[in-house]
Amino acid sequence: MYNDDLIRLLESGRKVIGCFPLYPPLELFDAMGLAPVVLWRFPEPMPETPASDSHLQNYACSVARRLTDFILSDAGGAIDGVFMYNACDTLRNLPEILEHGTRAAGRPLPVHRVHMPMVGCGQEQDVDTAGFIADEFAGLIQALETTYGVVFSAERFEKSIRRFETIRDLCRQLDMAAAQGRIPFADFVRVVHRTWWMSAAAQVDFLTGVLAETREVSPEPVTRKITGRVLLSGILPPPVPVIEAIEGAGLAIAGNDIATLYRAYAKMPAPAADPGRYYHQFYREHFPCPTLLYTADERFDTLLDLIRRRGASGVIFAGEKFCEYEYFEYPYLENRLKAEGIHTLRLEIAMADASISALRTRIEAFAEMVGG
Amino acid sequence: MTSQVKTESGRHLSKIMRDCYMDIHQRAAQGAFVIWIAINVPAELFAGFDNVIYAVPESHAATSAAKGVGALQCEKAEKIGYSMDLCSYARIDIGTVADGGNDSPTFGLPAPQMLVSDNNNCSLLVKWFDVHHRQMGIPHYIVDVPFCYSPQREKDRKYIVEQFRGLIRAIEEKSGQRHDMDRVREAMQYTSEGLAHWKRFLSLAAHRPSAITAFDSFVQMAPFLTLRGTPQFAEHYRLLADETEQLVADSRFPVPNEKYRLFWDNIAPWHQLRNMSARLAQMDANIIGATYTQCIGTVEGSFQPHLYAGGDPLDYMARTQNAYVCPHGMELRSRAMAEAVETLGVDGIVFASNRSCKPYSITQIDQMKQMTETLGIPAVMIDVDHADARKFSQETAYLRIEALLESIEAGRVTVS
Ligand code: SF4
Ligand code: SF4
Repeated sequence: MYNDDLIRLLESGRKVIGCFPLYPPLELFDAMGLAPVVLWRFPEPMPETPASDSHLQNYACSVARRLTDFILSDAGGAIDGVFMYNACDTLRNLPEILEHGTRAAGRPLPVHRVHMPMVGCGQEQDVDTAGFIADEFAGLIQALETTYGVVFSAERFEKSIRRFETIRDLCRQLDMAAAQGRIPFADFVRVVHRTWWMSAAAQVDFLTGVLAETREVSPEPVTRKITGRVLLSGILPPPVPVIEAIEGAGLAIAGNDIATLYRAYAKMPAPAADPGRYYHQFYREHFPCPTLLYTADERFDTLLDLIRRRGASGVIFAGEKFCEYEYFEYPYLENRLKAEGIHTLRLEIAMADASISALRTRIEAFAEMVGG
Repeated sequence: MTSQVKTESGRHLSKIMRDCYMDIHQRAAQGAFVIWIAINVPAELFAGFDNVIYAVPESHAATSAAKGVGALQCEKAEKIGYSMDLCSYARIDIGTVADGGNDSPTFGLPAPQMLVSDNNNCSLLVKWFDVHHRQMGIPHYIVDVPFCYSPQREKDRKYIVEQFRGLIRAIEEKSGQRHDMDRVREAMQYTSEGLAHWKRFLSLAAHRPSAITAFDSFVQMAPFLTLRGTPQFAEHYRLLADETEQLVADSRFPVPNEKYRLFWDNIAPWHQLRNMSARLAQMDANIIGATYTQCIGTVEGSFQPHLYAGGDPLDYMARTQNAYVCPHGMELRSRAMAEAVETLGVDGIVFASNRSCKPYSITQIDQMKQMTETLGIPAVMIDVDHADARKFSQETAYLRIEALLESIEAGRVTVS
């Protein structure tokens, strides 16, 4: 039922906090002696979601359905609590479903929530978002202390921030290695996704090891015959067969704007002893993501900058089916990118993404266009 | 059978809505400052300005769907790249704007100078308004309303009030007009008066047979979106409630042989109002109430009116920001639904699962189980898109509703 990483995590004796996507306060949980795992995808493949299907309609996105399935099935017994913030309309409706479901299963799960202000950028002078966030985090810390018998320490918090800065820095280095072809993109994804089920310390060791191995095996950028360089964008990376089809069509994946990858490790603020201050900066200055509503105005320029820096001439949007946040932005991004001479391809990745033959044909046609 | 003859309030509704759309087009042409708002943005705020008018894309989308052009406008949005999975209100609006208001029953909406969205019903709406923000190059103010799982926190109310104040300042700055809070107070009085009449109207569903159908009440919601805070608003709902009381006194009912009293959960099926009410009436069934209409004029999780009783209008407005179904959680939804079901004497519930509106629909499977188990009331789930008729299968829906009626009947036989 559990993979080795999860078993190790459970054996560490830390209480496991299952965090709803997208960008939970991992540093805080780690600093308080808890083990946060982001419930994006799961140790084992999950092609079907029977436990979720009796609670959620099939038009909920695969992230929500898999998360629900994991927590409500036996595997969810590994989790000691759940954390969520107002990341999206679908996720905000899940806590009560999970509370009811786990209560009915005789293992009620504590659910911890905070509200992250989503006011627009120009509105910061109208409302005290910093104060609001500080207050939310004070409440969260208190709830964690009471529920799990742990204690907050400013010193440990700063230390944890540094550890996560190391993790993100290692991810960025690996990201660059993938962009240079020194590690296949699918392997890079597997590596980063595996870290979700590790303690922070284990993540540092693991990523350091992979990076050292990459340097040894492939110290220089790999040159292979390619038709063009593209960026991948989406909530999750597409499934491995799609990545292989992209690379098989002669395209190099020169970078990504994916929520589980680059958007998550692109940047973080300087360490601070005060969680309120730190997380105010963390969220307000986050790498743009359609779910962080106030980052919308920056998204195009940031994306274009990344495209230019990575020398890409195309973007493949791997749309998570039923994720409105992503889909609302596509026509705008596509038009603006087109005006900049950047080709775009939109793929729709659904829960049952069994066959990729139709996608392959489109990817091949796109590769020709990018190459042409 | 439901009467297709227009009532006095029906005629009045058509008139005030027609006048309202003509008025905003005219005033916009004469230089008024135009704001497009989300339905939950408290429109009474704008009464504090001399020459600020507002239009509501969601309301326009509902009208378009009810007039049979919903799917047509959706297709226009799809053609320019908007996914068919996006909310149909958004697609109708984006399609209408992209085609310059063609095919719109109201000649579109006057071009805005500012957009005000909020995320209490859904944050999708913020993304939708962002589409216009970029396309039109105009400012977009986002009102951030924390979702609530238990009654609204004091802290959240203050946070919302701060934003309302900020919004007023932003409009003052952009429109060059001064805001007068006394006029907002006056507007709130009209709204509150209208709300009291609205609640009086809805309560007539408790009569056996019911004096109203939810279909009528859906149509009658329109002034809530476009005329709040005006004397016409208060007057319209007085007329509606009085007239309906008179119908009861005259023993005139929409479904006189009413055998099945049903309750609706989700947005109105705008493209099906006439068909569905007629078809149900043929089966002696009536949808007598709906979460969609009952939540208006309340606070989250309640069925009781929550009216303005003087004081700071911004505080009252903020307090009601979580009232509508989508901005609060399942426990609160269930509480309000149970109260409505019991008060109105409902026999069965129709959960309309709406893939266009995830915020409304995602909790429905669990809520349906809860209602059936705790209230012992049969319920059924049907698939309905509120504004895109292409995503509705009549046959499947009616088969399920017939099954619901059969199970109500079976329950009665068992009891007797
Ligand atoms: S994929 Fe989109 S809809 Fe799904 S959980 Fe993530 S943000 Fe929400
Ligand atoms: S998703 Fe639902 S709440 Fe949001 S705009 Fe559409 S219909 Fe309204």
